[in-house]
Amino acid sequence: MGNFLVWVIWIVAALACVSTGVAVISFTNPFYSALALIGNLASLAVLFLLASAEFVAAAQILVYAGAVMVMFLFVIAYLGGRADAPWAGGPRWLQLGAFAVGAALLIEVIVALVTKANGGLSNAADISRSFGSPAEIGKLFLADHLLAFEITSIVLLVAAVGGVVLGMKAAAEDEVEA
Amino acid sequence: MIAGAWLCLLAPLAGALLITLAGTRISRAAAAWISTGSVFLGFAGAVDAFIRVLGESPEDRTHLSTAYTWVTAGSFKVSMQILVDPVSLTMMLIVTGVGGLIVWYSMGYMKGEDEERRYFAYMALFVFAMLMLVMGGNLLLLLVGWGLVGLASYLLIGFYHERPEAVAAAKKAFLMNAIGDATMALGFFLLIAKTGTLAFPTEASAGALSSSTANLVALGLLGGAIAKSAQLPLHTWLPDAMEGPTPVSALIHAATMVTAGVYLIVRTHLIFQAAPDVQHLSAVLGGITIVVAGVIALVQWDIKRVIAYSTMSQIGYMFLAAGLGAYGYAMFHLMTHAFFKALLFLSAGVIIHHLAGEQDIRKMGGLRKVMPFTHAAFLVGALALAGIPPLSGFWSKDGIIASSFAEGGVLGYSLFALALLGALLTGAYTFRLYFLVFHGPPSDLVLEHAGGHGSGHAHGTEGAEGHGEHAHGEGPLSMLIPVGILTVLAAIGGLLVIPGVWEPFLTWIDSVAEPLVTATPGQDYATSVLAVSIGGIGIWLAWRAFVAGRELVATGGIRTALEHKLYFDELYDAVFSRPAQLVANLLRERVEEPVVQGSLPEIGAGVEDAADGTARLQSGLLRSYALVVAASVAVLVVVFVAVR
Amino acid sequence: MLGPDVTWYLAISAVLFAIGATGVVLRRSPLIVLLSLEIMLNASNLAFVGFSRHFGTVDGQIFALCVMAVAAAEVCVGLGMIVAFSRRRMALDVDTLTELHG
Repeated sequence: MGNFLVWVIWIVAALACVSTGVAVISFTNPFYSALALIGNLASLAVLFLLASAEFVAAAQILVYAGAVMVMFLFVIAYLGGRADAPWAGGPRWLQLGAFAVGAALLIEVIVALVTKANGGLSNAADISRSFGSPAEIGKLFLADHLLAFEITSIVLLVAAVGGVVLGMKAAAEDEVEA
Repeated sequence: MIAGAWLCLLAPLAGALLITLAGTRISRAAAAWISTGSVFLGFAGAVDAFIRVLGESPEDRTHLSTAYTWVTAGSFKVSMQILVDPVSLTMMLIVTGVGGLIVWYSMGYMKGEDEERRYFAYMALFVFAMLMLVMGGNLLLLLVGWGLVGLASYLLIGFYHERPEAVAAAKKAFLMNAIGDATMALGFFLLIAKTGTLAFPTEASAGALSSSTANLVALGLLGGAIAKSAQLPLHTWLPDAMEGPTPVSALIHAATMVTAGVYLIVRTHLIFQAAPDVQHLSAVLGGITIVVAGVIALVQWDIKRVIAYSTMSQIGYMFLAAGLGAYGYAMFHLMTHAFFKALLFLSAGVIIHHLAGEQDIRKMGGLRKVMPFTHAAFLVGALALAGIPPLSGFWSKDGIIASSFAEGGVLGYSLFALALLGALLTGAYTFRLYFLVFHGPPSDLVLEHAGGHGSGHAHGTEGAEGHGEHAHGEGPLSMLIPVGILTVLAAIGGLLVIPGVWEPFLTWIDSVAEPLVTATPGQDYATSVLAVSIGGIGIWLAWRAFVAGRELVATGGIRTALEHKLYFDELYDAVFSRPAQLVANLLRERVEEPVVQGSLPEIGAGVEDAADGTARLQSGLLRSYALVVAASVAVLVVVFVAVR
Repeated sequence: MLGPDVTWYLAISAVLFAIGATGVVLRRSPLIVLLSLEIMLNASNLAFVGFSRHFGTVDGQIFALCVMAVAAAEVCVGLGMIVAFSRRRMALDVDTLTELHG
């Protein structure tokens, strides 16, 4: 019974993922695309939960869907939605190439999966109840992967500075332009 | 004795190097003295070696002295070694002795010329090269000397390098010698392939050669010999080589370099004896050359060219002797020929110098009264050349003629006939020259210059150096003394072989090369009488023609043919030179210009096009870059999955 | 494990990745391109999490978190650039940004 429920939820979330993904690249209005992406992120969070990665799911909703997407929406609102059809403009071969590449990547991975990757994907490990809990994550971040933790924080700092610089109104320049 | 031999070899080299390195820092006279001194120093070394070897018994007279190993290639080894034995000692003495006299003579002759120092350096280089040739202890060193004398000859013939005729003559000499060098090299390759060594042939090693190998090797050596010694058919370079200064003609093209071919045959006679057909061929070529050169000399107007053809003819005698196996007489004639031919050239040089460069005998005449010393010297030389006893030429030439008679058979008798005909021609052309130059009324040119050497000339008050005697007004002492010495040698040099009485020279050479044919004293005296009388007839014919004021060869077809030197030059031009030029031009038009030169701009344009094509890939279109990245990832995934 | 095992997660991840790649190459508006990039990053996050569950170690989730942080940083910079474009009245069209041509 429990397994069946899990399956159902999983299938629903997976379908939502894929459909919102297609929607992102198909809408002409960037606002709609952004909203579709939020949906995508939410369904992904569901999938994370089903894979016992609670903290990551929470972070996904809070950080990604909450902060990053809001930033996106702000910028889209500020810039005004300029409409252009998905396959408007550009050389023909580029459009065909896009689909070809996507298909190629997809097929390759499916093939790898179907051949079961030499049997390396057969048995899932058993996990404890605290798998994926903040405590576990925190333990690893501050013990084994401290370096990654620190570097990531520096990256975030650099990005923040970069964002501010890019968004700054350089006073002299704007006066000359205007 | 070995030290003396090494001194002989190295002194001229040191002289040449010294002059070359000192350049313009030394005076011209200093260069001349260094050159002369180094050659005479070599002569001293040779005399020292000679005296010591003379004291040894005949079996012991071969000395091989090795300095160091020069080339090793597997089992093939060649060392820097010199061979001191009777034959090489004879050559050493001739080269340094006569050579020294000639270089001394050049001091006066070349005084005031441009670039004197270069001349003296080249002369010393030549003497060294010739000594290397005759003293080399193995065939490879002989070849080194061979090539170097060819080089020295080229440099000296082309000494007046602003004259196009001189440059052309130098090239011609070098090219024809190169043909001989090539055949010699091929012979050597064969020797190395079959015997693995380039040491001089011994009885054992020559006997071990198969007859076809021996024939091929001997042919190769013969090719080199006839090119170097200007025998038919590779003779056309020698007359043209007279473009060089007269001392050069005397030293290189009369006394020493052109006799290298004879030396080669004597040195490798064991191979020739293993290939008797080739040996007889060399005798036949020599015989033919005697006559051909003799008739061409009858119509020449240039004093030096007459003497050049005479040289060709006399070397024919030496080849005849070597070809029949009379090695002793071949070397003997080589020696006496060196004396009287150098004498003739140097006297001619005195005349030319006196007449400020004139060489045409039609403009000369009556020099007997004006230049008595030179006249006497020239007469001695001419008589020696014609083989009149008791001068040197008689003893050597008649020995050769007797040997051909003693050989007998078809070969021997036909060569005998050719040799006698040669004696007739020699008398004729030599004395035609003598009479035209020295007898008769003095020509205008002679009268112009008759005020003695010091007057009417641009260079030098040489009269100041003479002790006031008129004879020495003919030229500077440095020129006249060597002429005098050579006169004496040409007169008495032949007395080293008096058949049946004493033959020290022949026994001297015998220990190295035993003769294949020896004439009895009876045969010798009989043929001598015949030869001398025929020579006398030649002289008489010349006298008669001169008195009658006509030429020996009447105008007409024959004379024209002789004046064109029997059309050999034209033949070679048509057969070799024109086709070669044709092929070269064809190659230049069809291959060099379109393909090689045309391809270079093509390659450049091609690279430019490729670059343009490649540049189009970088369109700046971001999406295409992204596509390429994604596609590469796709490919990489396949690779990883496949390789696992 | 309850529910589908890791191969299913990976399949979804592959599909999302392909969709994102297509979007990056296909669309001309830089905003949509950025969104497609986000999809790709999320697809890889999903793969990490799936594997982490499969092997029973938390390191995959750690990496997913780092990826999330870097994605946020990248979006920040990317959006800043887009705002800068529009400030300078440049067209929001990747096809016209051809300064990198050869």
